[in-house]
Amino acid sequence: MATAKKRMNPWFKRILYGIIIVALLGAGLVWYIFSEKFADTSETPADFTVNAMDLIHEFEKNDSLANKKYTEKIIVVNGTVSGIEPADTTVNIKMVDTASGSYVIFAFQPQHRDEAKTIKAGDNVSIKGSCSGGAYSNILETEYITFKRCALNK
Amino acid sequence: MKKTILLIALVAASGSMFAQKKTTTSGTVNFDATTTLDQLPKAENKTVIVAIDPAKGTLAFEVPIKSFTFGNPKIQEHFNGPNWLDSEKFPTSTFKGIITNISTIDFTKDGSYSADVEGDLTIHGVTKPVKTTGKITVKGKAVTANAEFSVKLADYGIDGPPVGAGKVSKEPKIIVAADLN
Repeated sequence: MATAKKRMNPWFKRILYGIIIVALLGAGLVWYIFSEKFADTSETPADFTVNAMDLIHEFEKNDSLANKKYTEKIIVVNGTVSGIEPADTTVNIKMVDTASGSYVIFAFQPQHRDEAKTIKAGDNVSIKGSCSGGAYSNILETEYITFKRCALNK
Repeated sequence: MKKTILLIALVAASGSMFAQKKTTTSGTVNFDATTTLDQLPKAENKTVIVAIDPAKGTLAFEVPIKSFTFGNPKIQEHFNGPNWLDSEKFPTSTFKGIITNISTIDFTKDGSYSADVEGDLTIHGVTKPVKTTGKITVKGKAVTANAEFSVKLADYGIDGPPVGAGKVSKEPKIIVAADLN
């Protein structure tokens, strides 16, 4: 006895395929967004190139304006290293304005941390990093600007 | 008489030298809010300002929130966004407290000392008292401070959808390490 094959409504079929495609695209997009890593800073184009002392003075003058301009931007900072500070298992590079005590400090990206260890106080360097902004420290009573994901700018 | 005065002056000078404030601008704070559902909310901040005043027994730190580095850009964006730390509005977290057993810590003698810390922790604009025990290690002129504790995000008004959905731990672990000079 032949069984009557019930055919699916073509519109229902199209809608079902559409939902499956959208769900797959959505899942792919979510996977892409949450598995994405920050790019290597050394290969990321810079938004600004500045001198360390000029940057410090700009923040000292008006840190709200400077924060709007520089925060989360990739910046190349040129200057003379004032000191190297141990930061857990690695080191940070620091440039200080000796007149005011204000400073800019650079924490390096994991793949560039060995580069930081080669730098010495007094070296003239060019460092590229993501500016985290600046603020006034009530502990040190100076302005400070921090950078993350840094690399030597070659 | 002159010799006695000179001796007293020297002892006083060395005492004040040892009692000088110890600071760093490269303190490290590791933030771990991972859960079984999500291993991404984990970050480190290596530009924390930390100060210990051995004479007064005070401990303070300032944490620039935007300096936290996550592996994933989207999680970092969420962390700084209005549902989490809202770093635009509250750019810094601070701690101001005292080491209650400072008299048992000899900053002039090599050793590892337990430090009982009490103070006010401000996160997301909310200040709460906290109490923890850390470790201070003295080796020559180098002083290292370490502490590990957890905070209840709800206490600091942080209760966005990711926390409710179990993707962010309700009590993240905070690990502080500082090499002070």
